[in-house]
Amino acid sequence: MRHGLMKWREDELSQADVLSRQYRLQQAMETHDLDGVLIYTNHVRSAAVTYLTGFSPYWSDALLFLPATGKPLFATALSKRVGNWIKSTNPTSDIAHSPRPGELIGEQMVAIGCRKIGVVELDHIPGGLIDEIAGVSNAQLEDASAIFAAVRTVRDAAEIALVEKTNQIAADAFASAPTERNLVGDVTEALELYVRNAGAEECYVAIAPDLKKDTRLARTKGQVALGETFAIRLSIAYNGVWIRRTETFARTSGESSFQSLALWANGLSNGINPSKNLSSQLATSSLPAGVSISRWTLEAPLGNRPLEAIATMENEVVRPLPYGVLTIQLDTKQGPVVLARPIGLYLSLLSVGAAT
Amino acid sequence: MKIPQNLTSKVAQVRRQKLVKAMQNANLDAMVLYGNAWQNDYLRYGVDFGILEGEGIAIITRDGQATLYLDDAFEADRASVECDDITIVVSKDIVQDVAAKIISYDNSNIAAAPQRHLPYGLARLRQKHNIADATETIDHLLMVKAEEELQAIRRAARLADEGYAVFRDAAQIGVEDYALIAQIEAFFRANGVDDNFMIIGSGGPEVRGMAPPSGKKLKAGDLVTTELTPCIDGYYVQICRTLVVGPPSEAQQKAFSVYHEAMVAGIDIVAPGISASDIAKAENDVFRKYGLGDYVTSEYTRVRGHGLGLFPDTKPHLLEGVPTLIEQGMLLIVHPNTYHPEVGYMVLGDSLIVGAEGPEVLTTTPRELFSVAQTRSAS
Repeated sequence: MRHGLMKWREDELSQADVLSRQYRLQQAMETHDLDGVLIYTNHVRSAAVTYLTGFSPYWSDALLFLPATGKPLFATALSKRVGNWIKSTNPTSDIAHSPRPGELIGEQMVAIGCRKIGVVELDHIPGGLIDEIAGVSNAQLEDASAIFAAVRTVRDAAEIALVEKTNQIAADAFASAPTERNLVGDVTEALELYVRNAGAEECYVAIAPDLKKDTRLARTKGQVALGETFAIRLSIAYNGVWIRRTETFARTSGESSFQSLALWANGLSNGINPSKNLSSQLATSSLPAGVSISRWTLEAPLGNRPLEAIATMENEVVRPLPYGVLTIQLDTKQGPVVLARPIGLYLSLLSVGAAT
Repeated sequence: MKIPQNLTSKVAQVRRQKLVKAMQNANLDAMVLYGNAWQNDYLRYGVDFGILEGEGIAIITRDGQATLYLDDAFEADRASVECDDITIVVSKDIVQDVAAKIISYDNSNIAAAPQRHLPYGLARLRQKHNIADATETIDHLLMVKAEEELQAIRRAARLADEGYAVFRDAAQIGVEDYALIAQIEAFFRANGVDDNFMIIGSGGPEVRGMAPPSGKKLKAGDLVTTELTPCIDGYYVQICRTLVVGPPSEAQQKAFSVYHEAMVAGIDIVAPGISASDIAKAENDVFRKYGLGDYVTSEYTRVRGHGLGLFPDTKPHLLEGVPTLIEQGMLLIVHPNTYHPEVGYMVLGDSLIVGAEGPEVLTTTPRELFSVAQTRSAS
């Protein structure tokens, strides 16, 4: 579950910001002859509803129904006792509570005469909720993931600012981590404490405790000994926006011998456009001598997943993205190095849409 | 029956054996189990992976072999480290892949769970491909624990008590609720706790329940409520306690005595053979005795306790009218948590294992309305 800070912060993401996103989706509905769009949310598959409303559930699940005109209806199985909290963190939606939220949404579809509804990631919605809707409404349900993704890829300043802030929290957390470290727990506990105290709503820490033996990152228990080099990935949600940041460290050298590579990776946040061919951009990215890229993965938010894999080194895909997270594995003389950074942060808001 | 011998833990092995036996009893060839980080218990029963991101679907065949489909490559990396005995398939669309697998099992007996959460892309195959609903079968396996599972549960119970001690130490005037929770999370991460279900409330009669932290600062006189539910090796154990910032008022103490009496009444009747409803009624009768019957209705409270295990809020729900039979080996929390009209929302709950003769209460934190010194302030 999510149990970090979850509150509405108008200065970071305003009601006007989310209303403009809802309006863009409603315009797309008109183009595609849809009477509404339905989106499922839980704390794992929260991103689409968060994008449209700013709201993320801490637990349980819900449906958001945005009609072609008017306010969205948010129907949740969470009880009325947390209704005030939901209202305070989802101010642009009408809120309804029911142990059968699908039925409530179906009734709303009937009430406003819906014939055709677009559903984001239709095949992934819990079947029980679809059964509830079908029990009261005959509206045709069709997948609208592509329609939503097209709306989602428009970059907006509020989101990019939140990505920058979240990335800074991660960078500061790594900077504050203890330099005396022998066990996994020596580092991970401090990182999580820093990130949550900075107001993050979620934090997952994964670690490859001995990079020379294994570059896979896992949720390793605190008593595991660190190897000569190790990597840590912070996956952080702040005010609904997710990023990852991965760093590689030398256990004993204090100031990491991998600092120049970390600085190179920092430059990617600024210089790489996630909506353009990554291989060619990385090839011209001034990688230090003697270092080569052995693997990369690009993730971005397009639908319900806060971050989903878009492309890899072996399977390059170029498409418009609002921002990205690039994870890179490097081969160096000191062994493998893993780094991750959000990318596309400082580009002009207008420049990214035209993918090449 | 050949069961893989190198499962990540003995507990996981025992679970897989019980699952395969249940499948054989039901003449099933394959079981499809869905899970995500919210509702992971059905999936984790079959494959011992604590999923965090994306979704997972496992197919277990009657020979005990397991294939785990994941839609996140980083999660697949993690699964390959944490559970090296299963076949892992990474796919952008696991629903489509599993649907294709199910279709290829034509003329086989297949069941799936949980019914409510099964992705629509699989759920719509149910009729054409005769996919049975295994929810009830898995629910029973989830509710009635094997002795090996109870050992993990007892470890989690110790961490719940220790976590609440950290919570009490960190509760100070001026501290923000999310900073308080940060302390708990750091403590849990350092002590091998993978996950924690936790909500919090602070204030007075205006507080109707608990929610995630919203940046509220603790102040003198606040009732501070929390449910802490650490997870060890997949098993969640809960503690519910209330503390007062400063000395408790007479009204707060009087109210607390009702909750205490209700919890004890609920725990005292726990034994194999009674129903979930019986426990809830024992708790609620105490509230009714003190003229607080309105406050045990759904307007003010959700449940009077619930099952625990691979999910922090599993069946049976302790509610009047729920007929589920209480059986030896169940893990329950009895918590008469609700709103009190004079003082606000108050919680008190102990976790217990249902033993042959009665409850084995796991929670050792005193059943007190705790008080933290009013002079202690966050810097």
